[in-house]
Amino acid sequence: MESNLIISSTEQMSLMEKLKILSDSAKFDVSCSSSGVGRRGDGTGIGNTSAAGICHSFGADGRCISLLKVLFTNECVYDCKYCINRKSNDVPRASFTPDEICELTIQFYRRNYIEGLFLSSGILNNPSYTMELIYEAVYKLRTLYRFQGYIHVKAIPGAEPEIVQRLGMLADRMSVNLELPTAEGLQKLAPNKHRRNILAPMRQIQQGIIQNKNELVAFRHAPSFVPAGQSTQVIVGATPETDYHIMTVAESLYKKFALKRVYYSAFVNVNEDKELPALPGGPPLLREHRLYQADWLLRFYGFEADELLSESKPNFNILLDPKADWALRHLELFPVEINRADYQMILRVPGIGVKSAQRIVRARRNGRLNFDDLKKIGVTLKRALYFITCNGKMMYPTKLEEDYITRNLISNKEKLPFDRDGMTYRQLSLFDDEQEVIWQQAING
Amino acid sequence: MEEYYLICQDSLEGIFTGIYDAYLKKKPHEQIHIIVGEEDNYRLFAIYEECIPDGKKATSVARTILREFGEESYLSICRALASCEADKGEAIYKAIVTGFGMRDRHQLMGNLRNPAVHRVFELARFTANEAHYHIEFLRFRELENGILYAEIGPKNNVITFIVPHFAGRFPLENFVIYDEIRDIYAMHPTKGDWYLVHGEEGMNQVEHILSEREKKYSELFCQFFHTIAIKERKNYRLQRNMLPLRYREYMTEFQEK
Ligand code: SF4
Repeated sequence: MESNLIISSTEQMSLMEKLKILSDSAKFDVSCSSSGVGRRGDGTGIGNTSAAGICHSFGADGRCISLLKVLFTNECVYDCKYCINRKSNDVPRASFTPDEICELTIQFYRRNYIEGLFLSSGILNNPSYTMELIYEAVYKLRTLYRFQGYIHVKAIPGAEPEIVQRLGMLADRMSVNLELPTAEGLQKLAPNKHRRNILAPMRQIQQGIIQNKNELVAFRHAPSFVPAGQSTQVIVGATPETDYHIMTVAESLYKKFALKRVYYSAFVNVNEDKELPALPGGPPLLREHRLYQADWLLRFYGFEADELLSESKPNFNILLDPKADWALRHLELFPVEINRADYQMILRVPGIGVKSAQRIVRARRNGRLNFDDLKKIGVTLKRALYFITCNGKMMYPTKLEEDYITRNLISNKEKLPFDRDGMTYRQLSLFDDEQEVIWQQAING
Repeated sequence: MEEYYLICQDSLEGIFTGIYDAYLKKKPHEQIHIIVGEEDNYRLFAIYEECIPDGKKATSVARTILREFGEESYLSICRALASCEADKGEAIYKAIVTGFGMRDRHQLMGNLRNPAVHRVFELARFTANEAHYHIEFLRFRELENGILYAEIGPKNNVITFIVPHFAGRFPLENFVIYDEIRDIYAMHPTKGDWYLVHGEEGMNQVEHILSEREKKYSELFCQFFHTIAIKERKNYRLQRNMLPLRYREYMTEFQEK
């Protein structure tokens, strides 16, 4: 196969060196999730998948390590300004062989280091050629090595739809990175990429998934296409878009493209290109964190982007999380009576998460709840107390007044910059799988 | 008023037998208590009785729980049973008593207002949590004979909650998981069913010489582990929150070279 040609240049390099180069250049792809599909092995190979995903380690940056995240090659014919692998950079280049990828995946998997493989690549020759290389590795892993664990692959914009389709039959998750929130940003920083080419495979994958669902209804054992759904990634802070802009884009990706996840990646300036902001304060991690919080509100709390931000208030509050911020601007809706309010309204109370809200609705069937009960259930009372009553009474006499509550909420410090990893599976599994739900309750309290 | 203390063996069988015997007493439940293992705080005027674990009694309690309170409650109770906390027997017993007083018994675990139910919920949560941490963080090493070998040191008795996960995942592997606190080995033969063995019996079956390629792959993984972190985002506190320190002594990537 052609791939042998390209390998010759890096043939002499040890596997250790290759792994270093090709994981280093893959690290800015933030998704490491292994969630979205629960599948048993068939007993003839190795591996299975868990709907909630499983983390296997946490790196020095606190991010979850779930998949062997590597590039097939970091050679690239494109010149995206934010990327370390761009053509114009003089960096060491390397490429794996399909067998090296398979061996690493299997040997890491057997030792319980990883849940599977996340394979991306720089663009060698052209998008279709590159995807063919990815396909070859993944095909070998699935057939020869009988690997039944999780595989996430990138669909490369501009590749032939046929190969996207073929690869989708082997992968659990596919992703096409949006890269930048707007077409203008893309044009400026990734001149070889086009918005149209990015949205086309996204649409194709979406339709493939729908079609496959119908086939699965008709034939239970039909092979599945991208069963864990697709995700994408947006770089935050390399271009001047507002949070409102980013959230609107995310919302439409969820609604119109049925994405499983949108990942936000605080821009890290690796190239010091004059087109890029200098960011003396480091990557905009707090901003990224607020975006994840808001994303969470869109997906699980019934919020719309327009409720959280607007043209006149286009960015999130640095001091308050988006939910508290929203509540403070809607004090007319509070306090809510815990023993009567409906689930959707309880969900909107700061300090009450999805699991606490579910437990409240369930526990109150056995009698009226008081503040002590709420504490047992896992409600963060020091945040919630301004917004709720139990049996008509507030916890303490308190003023329902914006400035007063704001001051109090800020003084009981939010654990920042991250009280929770904004991007791992831990948040993902809310409704996935019974056992996982219980476990989620366990860790989130 | 007489208070009864039933001293039970620390096992599913032991505690379920205790619950069975407690019901046979036909006394108000507030007067009966279940103690697991040794009691070091004897009270005057209380009656202490030793419960001899009895398979038949335990089975009927287990069946009753499953039938009356459903699978969710049963699973929570089993997890609570694996807990290292001494009050687990009493909490389970009183939660069952509570359940029989409820209209919809399958909602038992939702009744978090009740202190005993809440305690069972909490204990089950600790166990489930720890079991999940092991599913994440347990590390196998390959021995010379190809067997995958892992050591764990859990607070709660989680081994039976984690082996099925690995058995489903590695049907063709011979693997062994060793709980060094309880001296229990879980053995999984290729294509076979797993089983537990205790102490010496297990030790005799496991050699401790690592395979030749074990070094290669553990080093490759350490390389990957260090490279994949973004240095501009270094956050050791977050890392510690997500990966408690006590697991690290068993993990390849945190081992001193
Ligand atoms: S296509 Fe752009 S982002 Fe991808 S590897 Fe090449 S230069 Fe980097």
